[in-house]
Amino acid sequence: MLEVRNLRKVYGEEPGGYVALEGISIDIAAGEFLCLLGPSGCGKSTLLNILAGFEEVSAGSVMFDGRPVKGADRDRMMFFQDAGSALLPWLTVEENVRFALRARRVPRSQWDDIITRYLSMVDLNNHRTKFPAELSGGMRQRLQIARALAVEPRVLLMDEPFAALDAMIRRRMHAILTDIWQRSGQTIVFVTHDIAEAIALADRIAIMSVGPCSSFMKIMDVKGARPRDMGDPASSAMFAEIERLLTPEIRRSEERLG
Amino acid sequence: MTETPAIHDQAAADAGMRARRRKFWRNNQGPLLAVLSISLSLVFWQVASTFWFDPFLVPPPSVVARAAWPMIQSGEIFNDVWISMTRVLVGFISGSAVAIVVGVLIGRIKVLHHLLDPVIELLRYLSPTAMIPIAVIWFGIGEMSKYFLIFWGTLFIVLVNTVAGVWRTPIARQRAAECMGVNRFEIFFLIVIPSATPYIVTGMRVAMASSFMSIIPAEILAADSGIGYLLQKSSMLLQTDKIFVALITICVLGFMTDRVFRLLVDKTLSRFTSSTSI
Repeated sequence: MLEVRNLRKVYGEEPGGYVALEGISIDIAAGEFLCLLGPSGCGKSTLLNILAGFEEVSAGSVMFDGRPVKGADRDRMMFFQDAGSALLPWLTVEENVRFALRARRVPRSQWDDIITRYLSMVDLNNHRTKFPAELSGGMRQRLQIARALAVEPRVLLMDEPFAALDAMIRRRMHAILTDIWQRSGQTIVFVTHDIAEAIALADRIAIMSVGPCSSFMKIMDVKGARPRDMGDPASSAMFAEIERLLTPEIRRSEERLG
Repeated sequence: MTETPAIHDQAAADAGMRARRRKFWRNNQGPLLAVLSISLSLVFWQVASTFWFDPFLVPPPSVVARAAWPMIQSGEIFNDVWISMTRVLVGFISGSAVAIVVGVLIGRIKVLHHLLDPVIELLRYLSPTAMIPIAVIWFGIGEMSKYFLIFWGTLFIVLVNTVAGVWRTPIARQRAAECMGVNRFEIFFLIVIPSATPYIVTGMRVAMASSFMSIIPAEILAADSGIGYLLQKSSMLLQTDKIFVALITICVLGFMTDRVFRLLVDKTLSRFTSSTSI
């Protein structure tokens, strides 16, 4: 569904510019849950922005359903870490979802049903008339999920969506997201720097090296039925393996940033 | 035997009364202290002008009130207030309107920003007071010169705030809208302008206060009516009491206009201004 071939992303002029991504290739299948995992500065958000169409490639290609990606597209919905800035703070919970439906030109007669369905799915149906500022961080993130799902995109691109939430809320969000994904069959590309989160959620994990010239170090299949527990031997073995791979990268990342 | 309950009742009633008083104090602490603040200041002023200062140089509140009364009765003061207010409002509204339109364009169109920003950055240091001499030559001492001066002062304050507001529109908000299929034109009106509204409103409040400050020198130097002119005329005639009437009028007017402005904003734009602190 999404095909990335020899992608290269350079900031500034070539030669001499900063090569953020180099030689990235991956096929993402319809209905797949893919995690992009790596320490900060590995260009995973850049890759996600390119998949969304917000940024252009410097070389290589990104195809969506056989057509090159050019600009944002309603079939690929981006989901942001900072729900506060992604939502419209001057609209209530239900108005935020309605805004998306109107933008998507969904017939007016269906609005109420869709809003109720998706707000119930994320447990916000009792807070329809509240403003985002009156919600907790986890509730705002759930509202963003409801808004993103209401327009029924085929691909959800999620940029560290739960990184700012505390651990308990994050587990709950994982359960909600997994449930929705299993029911809807949407394709999800999920960026994270949390190994446990990637193992809990993904079908496949693409592990990225630190820039410059970030690329995939390894792409791993995650086996085992959900919900996955870090206590499972398979999961903990995977955790250890990924940690081994990433430890030198994290050191490099620190050296570069420090 | 029969007395004890009565005493209990009395004690309970007293306790209840005390609790109510405490509650009243807690709930109205702000307004009560505000009244106290103004009253104490007036008392202090009265005492100071009577015993320390020359009452001619610093007329006490009682004298100022006596001077104000005939001005209120004859409507003379309201006439001046009305004239000054009209000047402030015409200049403020036209200045804000132009600043908002130009500001969102500069904030959105890079070329326009690079083209206009250097000029704005230089011109905004010319306060309305600095522009009085040339305004008088351009527009005379009629209404137009005052409208222009207030317009000038408002323009740059609201402009700078509007541009800042447009720039601070979160990129995530615009991109999320793009993903929903909102086009560029709609993003401008449905996302950017609402996101910039709190900044614009703040700029307008500051500009409103500064308009009240600039109308006075403008009327002192180049007018034959208004509160500033009243100040100037009273000064020439050494009527210190009338000067104080004019000064107090400015205080009350500025304060009230700001409150009315805030009330209007709360009534019409509270969605945009009160919900931004996420």
